[in-house]
Amino acid sequence: MGDSGGASLEIESKTENLAKVREFMSSQVSASRLEGTERNKVVLAVDEAVANIIKHAYEENLVGRISVSVLFDPDRFEVQIQDSGKKFDPNSINDVDIIQHVKEGRKTGLGIFLMRQIMDEVEYSFREGHRNQLRLVKYVKPKPKAGSASGVKGA
Amino acid sequence: MAGFSIKTENMKDAVLVRVNGFLDAHTFEQMENTINNLFNDNVFRIIVDLNGVDYISSAGAGVFIGAIGTAQENKGNIILMQPTAHVKEVFDLLGLSQIFHFADDVDSAVKILSS
Repeated sequence: MGDSGGASLEIESKTENLAKVREFMSSQVSASRLEGTERNKVVLAVDEAVANIIKHAYEENLVGRISVSVLFDPDRFEVQIQDSGKKFDPNSINDVDIIQHVKEGRKTGLGIFLMRQIMDEVEYSFREGHRNQLRLVKYVKPKPKAGSASGVKGA
Repeated sequence: MAGFSIKTENMKDAVLVRVNGFLDAHTFEQMENTINNLFNDNVFRIIVDLNGVDYISSAGAGVFIGAIGTAQENKGNIILMQPTAHVKEVFDLLGLSQIFHFADDVDSAVKILSS
């Protein structure tokens, strides 16, 4: 059935490699049980996460490695992203007030905002002397069963 | 990999910017430069044709967030035309659909600019 699986990709921390990340993620979500619109969103969330690492952990001009590992089963889709850049905890960035953002012409923080909106779990860890690790999880929504479309329970 | 391109066309009362390819953290600066060049030429009525944009990330959407204020302060606007469903979804996720006008074609975009 191909309901479980996973793979890894390692890239150099350059924005030109984001297309490779999206291509890799597209093939992974396509093999999973995530639904169509959720697939696109998960690809976007990972693209945003990696773009943030390039910008903040590697400060754009430092070249390092970023690894993206995917593991999925029928219930969940998990992505682990690791880098050896400087400590960067996306959870330290506050949520965005988009109206205020537009008023001020600010563009920062949007990627993390999207990542949080899309994924069910966003967990960051940093080990001194080791690396940043970001774990993103999306749960596969159960498909409605035939005859239970009304969603009435306990009748 | 799909190429990225931007073409500008002068219209009677606006400039039409046609974008193709991925508008992401790698390409957004080209879009930003295009918009800034238009502002430098005192062009503030801008229609951006997104029909050829296969993918947009927050960096791409951020270009328009950064620019719409300047356009509106100068009696103009930035109208986004024909985004694909996937691109529109990103604007929706960011809450930007309440801020930007979306048009189906050039005529509708011009009408919005003139309203």
